[in-house]
Amino acid sequence: MNVVYKHTIRFVIFAFLQAMVFNQLNIGFGIHLMIQPLYIMLLPFELTVIPMMGIAFLMGLVIDIISNTYGLNTSSLVLMAYLRPIVFKFYGPREGYDPLKEPNSQDMGASWFTVVYGILLGLHSFWFFLLEIFELGRIGFILQKTIFSGLLSFLLALLIQSFILNSTQKK
Amino acid sequence: MRNLIAFLQRFRIFLVFALLQFLALLWYTTFLSFPRNQYLTTNNHIAIQLLEWEHDLTKHFNLSKNNTDLQWENIYWRKRQPQFMYQLSRGKVKISDTLYEQQYTYIPAEVINSSVNRRNNYFTLNVGAAQGIKRGMGVFCQQGVVGIIHYVSKHYSLVKTVLTKDINIDVSIRMKKTDLPGLLKWDGQDPRYGMITGINNDLRIKKWSRVETRGGSGIFPKGLPVGKVSFTEPIEGEALWKVEIRFAADYRRLQRVYVIKNLHLAEQTALEARIPEED
Repeated sequence: MNVVYKHTIRFVIFAFLQAMVFNQLNIGFGIHLMIQPLYIMLLPFELTVIPMMGIAFLMGLVIDIISNTYGLNTSSLVLMAYLRPIVFKFYGPREGYDPLKEPNSQDMGASWFTVVYGILLGLHSFWFFLLEIFELGRIGFILQKTIFSGLLSFLLALLIQSFILNSTQKK
Repeated sequence: MRNLIAFLQRFRIFLVFALLQFLALLWYTTFLSFPRNQYLTTNNHIAIQLLEWEHDLTKHFNLSKNNTDLQWENIYWRKRQPQFMYQLSRGKVKISDTLYEQQYTYIPAEVINSSVNRRNNYFTLNVGAAQGIKRGMGVFCQQGVVGIIHYVSKHYSLVKTVLTKDINIDVSIRMKKTDLPGLLKWDGQDPRYGMITGINNDLRIKKWSRVETRGGSGIFPKGLPVGKVSFTEPIEGEALWKVEIRFAADYRRLQRVYVIKNLHLAEQTALEARIPEED
């Protein structure tokens, strides 16, 4: 499948799953499941950072419009897209990334994915909840939301990958 | 000039990032105080259509509970209807009563999109300007207060619920002798509990005393239920109570609400505009 088609279809699926399903779930303990960071994570290696920030902006815009959050998702997704190349560079192999591979847990290994996606998701969630609550006195609650939501969203990301990778890689 | 271009070249990634971040934050910070663009809310056609489809799927989830609630409300009002009561004194002449005048009318509505777990929660209603909804009208459900209309399009409207940061509905705690006025707030943690600020600690507050709207600003009538006091604690260094209340309504399961139209609001604001302003 063409890379552009694949990621466009993924864009639609991820945005609407997030806005219509995961944003409507109310689990309690301040848990907010997020799958949109996974979409930014799975964009190809050779995509440069400016188009990636554009895609992140669009994605955030769609989710914010449907779920009445007014720029919250947009801001945190743009931040994540900006940070992705920096974190990738830091944890990358010495000779650079293989452009045929994708930044997922199957191609790059579970340990690489855990570290890189863990850092990016953590920063994304922290920024998201910091902006949402916006009171420094409640930093404990912000951290609690970040940790709980981050952990569950990470597990959800592993689950989603096991679905989409199995269906797309067995050609 | 060349230096400037070189600078832009060098920092272009960061500049694009800063621009996009600025746009997003501008949107985030300005919407809370005043909504500017309806296409950036759920009140645009595409998002509304999606939400309508979703609502069609999920509206039956709490149907039996909602029906029971409506039935109880019907019984409550039926008991107060004069024609269903036993008449103790017969043969008296009934004259139409002019002592009471209607001040509020109600527009029924359905919540088609809601959230309770964010810092600022908005509900989308399926009524709009075509039904006579205006910005600033109050919204309540059978159990209690819901919020204030924040944005209206032709067929839909957006409610700023009590589960937002700066909602500030004036409420009062019902006590035996006096009522204590305060402002309703929400701290963003639990959709079942809210807070009331501005209550002096010279009087003891009984647990589970009722909290109702005060009706001062003309948005809500006096005496709509809000919740019950669940916890009080003195604030250190101030002569105020920290009051936590349990909301009467369960916002996680809300479906049918009423929008309040105050027929006397224009009169009240015209009168209050005559107060001389102090500089």
